[in-house]
Amino acid sequence: MDKTVTLKTTLTISGATCQGCAKKIRNALESLAGSTDLVEVDLDNQTVALPDGIDAEEAARIVTETGYPAEPVQAEGGECCDSQSEKAESCCASSKEQKVTLSISGASCQGCAKKIRNALESLAGSTENVEVDLDNQTVTLPAGVDAKEAARIVTETGYPAEPVQTEDEEDSDGQSEKTESCCASKKASSCHNSQSTGKADKGEAKAKAPQDAHDQKHTSADAGEQVVLSVTGATCASCVNTIEKALMSVPGVTHAHMNLSDNTATATGDADPQALVEAVESSGYGASVIENEDEADARKQEEDKKQYKTLLVKMAVSLTLGLGLMGWGLGTGTMMVTEANQLTWINLGILTLGVMIATGHHFYTGAWKAFKHHNANMDTLIALGTGTAWLYSIVVASFPEALPEMARHVYFEASAMIIGLINLGQALELRAKGKTSEAVRRLLDLRAKTARVIRDGEEQDIPVEDVQKGDQIRVRPGEKLPVDGVIAEGSTRIDESMLTGEPMPVSKGEGDEVSAGTLNTHGSIIYEATRVGSDTALAQIIKLVKKAQGSKPAIGRLADKISSVFVPTVMLIAVVAALVWYNVGPEPAVVHMMVAATTVLIIACPCALGLATPMSVMVGVGKAAEYGALIRQGDALQTAGKLDLVILDKTGTITEGRPAVTRVQASESDENRLLALAAGLEQHSEHPLAEAILAKAKDDEIEPLKVTGFEALNGKGVQGEHDGQTVRLGNRRWLEAEGLALGSLDEAARGITDEAGTPLFLALGETVLGVIGVADAIKPDSKAAIERLHQAGIKVMMVTGDIDATAKAIATKAGIDDYRAEVLPEDKAEVVSEMRGKGYTVAMVGDGINDAPALAAADVGFAIGTGTDVAIESAAITLMRGSLHGVPDAIEISRATVTNIHQNLFGAFIYNSLGIPVAAGLLYPLWGILMSPILAGAAMSLSSVTVVSNANRLRFFRTSHQPIADEQKE
Amino acid sequence: MQDLLVNLGGLVLMGAIIWWFWLSGSDSKASEHQHH
Repeated sequence: MDKTVTLKTTLTISGATCQGCAKKIRNALESLAGSTDLVEVDLDNQTVALPDGIDAEEAARIVTETGYPAEPVQAEGGECCDSQSEKAESCCASSKEQKVTLSISGASCQGCAKKIRNALESLAGSTENVEVDLDNQTVTLPAGVDAKEAARIVTETGYPAEPVQTEDEEDSDGQSEKTESCCASKKASSCHNSQSTGKADKGEAKAKAPQDAHDQKHTSADAGEQVVLSVTGATCASCVNTIEKALMSVPGVTHAHMNLSDNTATATGDADPQALVEAVESSGYGASVIENEDEADARKQEEDKKQYKTLLVKMAVSLTLGLGLMGWGLGTGTMMVTEANQLTWINLGILTLGVMIATGHHFYTGAWKAFKHHNANMDTLIALGTGTAWLYSIVVASFPEALPEMARHVYFEASAMIIGLINLGQALELRAKGKTSEAVRRLLDLRAKTARVIRDGEEQDIPVEDVQKGDQIRVRPGEKLPVDGVIAEGSTRIDESMLTGEPMPVSKGEGDEVSAGTLNTHGSIIYEATRVGSDTALAQIIKLVKKAQGSKPAIGRLADKISSVFVPTVMLIAVVAALVWYNVGPEPAVVHMMVAATTVLIIACPCALGLATPMSVMVGVGKAAEYGALIRQGDALQTAGKLDLVILDKTGTITEGRPAVTRVQASESDENRLLALAAGLEQHSEHPLAEAILAKAKDDEIEPLKVTGFEALNGKGVQGEHDGQTVRLGNRRWLEAEGLALGSLDEAARGITDEAGTPLFLALGETVLGVIGVADAIKPDSKAAIERLHQAGIKVMMVTGDIDATAKAIATKAGIDDYRAEVLPEDKAEVVSEMRGKGYTVAMVGDGINDAPALAAADVGFAIGTGTDVAIESAAITLMRGSLHGVPDAIEISRATVTNIHQNLFGAFIYNSLGIPVAAGLLYPLWGILMSPILAGAAMSLSSVTVVSNANRLRFFRTSHQPIADEQKE
Repeated sequence: MQDLLVNLGGLVLMGAIIWWFWLSGSDSKASEHQHH
């Protein structure tokens, strides 16, 4: 096994992604290390190993200046133990102060965290010893754990993991020898025990491996505060990288993350917020610190609206010029420069340049940014195409006599038209993108603004942010609860529907837990705050939704992907064509060379490219709406086609969501009396089951019997007095605990359970009179819709809080492949993430606010239109008809749309691609044909016509299930 | 001399395009991977 004996890991770096970066770093450190051979850059672990005795601070400074933020690794004196690993270089901390840290990827939610904790339980002794930090994608384990083994386990669990440098919290105040490294060099691992023999470098006090979120909040010395910035101007992955690098270069920043979907950047550490803003601005983007999320959301919406309007104005200006020039060309019959019109063309050229800059500067800056990052995207193509068209045209207009007569054609109109059409495409895209932050805004609206706390015996209203853990808070009827807590005084009924979806207020008394955002409907209570600020259940849901939205991939930028290969290839073809014309072409060779090269670049720019995706998405969204599926995010339409697993919530999704009495079985009396007694008892209750029984009694015209002294017992049932005897209606467990025998009703109860119903036993005194079955019936078309999903090759799974037997009965009846029973509302998102982790492209279908995190965590969230607002806002697609058929409909439409987009991109590229060899002069030696300007123009308009007509073809698409006429109107 | 310069320039340009866009690696690929 290779082992670099003399090299010690000296620096941690960030942003080095390829061998080019590694080479730059090696070259930069050559003077310090003596030779590039003595600098080992490990891209996997983002570390640099240098010979002993090198000034780590100086090396870090040099590498940071080279463009890769670097810091010296934590100094730890001591002996080195070798471990033989090939890939995962670990730091096998054996000192008890040291913790083992793994860097992971792909863990996006608490479900992932739980899986990782469970997987590492055997290694760490207990799941409590495993700290998973989703924000920083790290796992922290106690000292002595084999990091390599832990990484292997986590990787096997589905989250690629690697050990990172251990952090010695005890040593962070500087009690160690200078730069004895821990961790990786490229092929051999070296590990150290901390001996704390000297003084640490300044930079070493800073934690390299990001810490657990909890630690971040409470030990700012290591990780510090999080500063969230609103960033403008970021459009692609390159921008993300640039911005993260810029933030990392600010002293004090330990971790930076840019979220492209909501244009926010989060920097963790103790950096000055103003310095962060300046760093982002100096890299060419706009930034401002977000202090108030409500304001930031409003600002973002305002910005989107402004951007949409600006794009429309830009489109109007550039298209007016382009069409005007085209009209003039058609009117006068020529776009050729002659002595008579030369001055006019020069003036028009200058005007075109002005319009190009005013309406298309973002393409040029975008192209430059991409170029700087060794990338070519659609902007590059546009900038190159319009730029060469203009440059060529202005040369023709200024010096027509320098070119052969047939080459004296101007392309000003092409430049203006391309920019106009692509601006139009971007405006359409922006509108189709949807308001992803709406869900979060609705959740934020649930929060109370102030809290009435009792401090020193006095009640005072304070902003909710100032509430401390342990504060006594008074809440009066009709008020929202500001934070989570435990009731200390009084009892009340709390409406928790916003969190649990449970429509009925829940009775709460002393010692019961209450949650922020819920509504106190009855009495006045005093409760003690147990979780405040970002720790409340509501804040956690908000965080989950935000995170899920942020972690979604950006719209599949297929055009960019194609461009990244297409553009450099076209550039190469242009150079090759130029050289061939120069060497073997006829005279004047230089002119022919220039004409061929520029024509290749011009013809390669397909103006329909910008329209290809948004046009199809727009038609597809309209088609889906026709079928009652409201698509709120353009990318959902694209992703829906790739789904291979649909997870269904049970209540209200597969079933009607309203329980109804399915069976009444009496043993000791007649069934009418049984129902009359039950109705008499339940008329005091507001529980949905009570409603079902009352509805049944009403339907059967049964008068409820008089019951007094009503009492609801949580988790058991209800009881009261009738004719001096106790009447009880409730579950088996309760009645059995009360010592009542169920006798022959057992079989009836089993029958009810098998049909996914809830058996409610009624007892009068000590005698059980009978059992009433209440069930939530399956919607009539659920089974057919699930069958359609199966036909489309999609697996269907159900998650429910119900017991296994009920879940199994519903799953069997509805034809569902798999189900998860007894899933707590907050764990639904975990199930979604778990299945995503297994490689499925997952859709979640649900209706309650408790489904919101799961809806947002799924690749595509479908909300049932009759559900809560928050569920609708969290989902990418809303099914207006409340029928499950909307899911296969949307999937079929999505598949058709994606195919249509591919056809469009093909159409957008094909004419231009075919034109390239002609433009390069391939046909000249054979038939003497050179690129004609007419052909160039035709190719451009043909591609646009193809795209628009093909997208419109989608309007005739029909799914395999036809909604009935009145449903369509909905 | 002119021929040599033009051809050499062309070849250098081609080399530069290939190196810049392919061989020296693309940041975006790495960052895309990272953020998805």
